[in-house]
Amino acid sequence: MAYDVQTWVSVAALSGGGMAMGFGAIGAAIGEGYTAARANEAISRNPELSGDIFKTMLVGQAIAESASIFALVIAMMLLFTKFAAHILMVPVLLGAGLAMGMGAIGAGVGAGYPAGACCTGMARQPAMGGRLTTNMLIGSAVCQTPAIFALVVAFILLFTDFSQSPVSPTWAAILGAGISAGFGAIGSGLGGGLVAQASCEGIARQPLTATPVTNVMLLGQAVTQTTAIYALLVSFILMFKTFPATDLIAPPMALLAAGICMGIGAIGPAIGEGLAGQSAVAGIARNQEHVAELTRLMLVGQAVAESTGIYSLVIALILIFVV
Amino acid sequence: MEALRQTQKKYSSRAITTAIFAGFFLILIGQQAIGKGLILGTVFGIVNFVLMGETLPLRLGKSKGKTYLFSFGSIFFRYIIVAVPLVMAIKLEQYNLFSTMLGIFLIQFFILAEHVFGLIASARGKQV
Repeated sequence: MAYDVQTWVSVAALSGGGMAMGFGAIGAAIGEGYTAARANEAISRNPELSGDIFKTMLVGQAIAESASIFALVIAMMLLFTKFAAHILMVPVLLGAGLAMGMGAIGAGVGAGYPAGACCTGMARQPAMGGRLTTNMLIGSAVCQTPAIFALVVAFILLFTDFSQSPVSPTWAAILGAGISAGFGAIGSGLGGGLVAQASCEGIARQPLTATPVTNVMLLGQAVTQTTAIYALLVSFILMFKTFPATDLIAPPMALLAAGICMGIGAIGPAIGEGLAGQSAVAGIARNQEHVAELTRLMLVGQAVAESTGIYSLVIALILIFVV
Repeated sequence: MEALRQTQKKYSSRAITTAIFAGFFLILIGQQAIGKGLILGTVFGIVNFVLMGETLPLRLGKSKGKTYLFSFGSIFFRYIIVAVPLVMAIKLEQYNLFSTMLGIFLIQFFILAEHVFGLIASARGKQV
């Protein structure tokens, strides 16, 4: 049985919408559940503060679920928009759905970590409630950055006219761009969340260290975002570089492999950098006199963890420009 | 629960006031679709935020598994509500999709803005 192009476009739109919302809901639900579980512990420790803990939980969860609302937006666009009947719309719609769905996972889970730690910290140090909430919100907002990258890529895919480009290898470049942006966002969201969690715990443990802890948190989180930026860069090259038409199978496979290489290759380094940042921030909260040494060690550790992300970037660039 | 209600009231009233003023201004200068989209998105964003607060007590005092289950249920229920303005903006020309999205995120924007400005103000105060 043969299907026309319009049918394939509709199938891709439905599949892309399903992937966007299905994957996109995972992170926010886990993050929210984690926050609620930590709020339980906090209220059992200090029941008099249940009102403040509820309030913190609400505000934290409102930020944590932003990434999955991005996914909802893309899913609704894929499900309810009438798309042109062009064969390149198939990878566009699948790529957009995959980018946003996968891109929301890390941000949702990551933003739940500081929200949960803030609830626990509130029970431990009620007087630091305001500072803890501010720190939690800033940390959570940074966790949302990779999801915003994925949203940007999904929008660019949906609103760019690829109809003048050759079908092969453009289909692979488009799909690769979606995979790179989506998978590449997972690690950065999680890694950033680990650093922000340690920061909230640290401020609750030692309120006097709030300023250096927040500063080093921002530095540590910034480094965890770099691999998501590499993935975004590879996505942009795949979307905007003009590739010559080809009947061979190798060139499109090289472009698809570039997206897979950078997307998956970005997950591990970002989580590793998050672990390095987490321990440094926790250490600063315990021993404020050694901020310089702890920050230096964190940056050296993160630089080493970053190297595997750089290898992935180099291989992705070779696949795009050399192969 | 009074603290929770006060928080909801504070951010919701700020968001809806801003949306109404900005929306009417946009309608007056001829950008009807953008103005209407902003107000529509904000109204549903507030409904989502209020429901989030109202379902919070259901998630506490239960086992970890049940908490995760309630979180999933809460998300899917609220997302159906948030999907309504998005579908309307996609299907109907009188609502702009991007301003509707902005309206949905207006509460989160005000939460972040309040704390970031507070942090900047306290840092400046320390310098003086």
